[in-house]
Amino acid sequence: MNADKNTKKVCKYFTIFEYEKEQEYLRQMHRSGWKLVKVTGLTRYHFEKCEPEDVIYQLDYNPQRTEQKEEYIQMFADCGWEYLQDYAGYSYFRKPAAAPGSDEIFCDDESRLQMMKRVFKDRFLPLFIILSLLLVPQFIGSLFDGDAAVAVVLGIMIALYVWVFFTAARQYFKYKNGRR
Amino acid sequence: MDAHIKKVYVPMTETAFYILLGLEKPNHGYGIVQMVEKMTAGEIRLAPGTMYGSLSKMEKDGLIRFTREEDKRKIYQITDLGREVLALERGRIERLYRNSRGEDAK
Repeated sequence: MNADKNTKKVCKYFTIFEYEKEQEYLRQMHRSGWKLVKVTGLTRYHFEKCEPEDVIYQLDYNPQRTEQKEEYIQMFADCGWEYLQDYAGYSYFRKPAAAPGSDEIFCDDESRLQMMKRVFKDRFLPLFIILSLLLVPQFIGSLFDGDAAVAVVLGIMIALYVWVFFTAARQYFKYKNGRR
Repeated sequence: MDAHIKKVYVPMTETAFYILLGLEKPNHGYGIVQMVEKMTAGEIRLAPGTMYGSLSKMEKDGLIRFTREEDKRKIYQITDLGREVLALERGRIERLYRNSRGEDAK
């Protein structure tokens, strides 16, 4: 068979708080016979043809542990989780649904919330501060100057940030209020 | 004991409780997962992400300490502060248990 038929690349974008959606997408792909090989560049997912199987994918966000990476990966491996790679601060793990052990890498909402807080503090807050300090004043300035092009670009960026913020809030309250 | 530590850990999560219990003797994270699975006849399966996060946090808060490394696994042990917190939590759970059975307070 030709190699092209056995691999495919898909560009799919998930915002930083949509990791549950991303996990579900990867599981769905594996179930339909496409296993994840790697994620590269700007959210480019590389898949390889495989036997359809129900495999759970999970993302953890723990970038400060690089100096202790081996122990970190070992703990997941002991619990049956295969480590795939790191991408944008997230670590990707997978495990067949039929294998023994927990179905998720977190077993309580407290630790799910802690992970979200790490993403929020590391990834969202710094950009949000930059946004508030730079983009918003410029946006307001561009409105007064009547510079439509700049106003539209900045306006779109601000709208994106606000939207990401709402996805974060939604996820936060889902954990906070107990999701099951 | 620091009021903050008491506020954060009493009551504590099931994972945190089993970590303190499991580290009365030196052990690594996966050792605790196995111990709990055995103790609860497979009903409680601690997950690695939760374990990793809790171990790091409890080490930072001084409830447990890292002793050595073995085959890429970090061995931890409970500290005196950890024992104090565990005793408080144990007392709280015992009271809860007695009250749930309608027993009189001693």
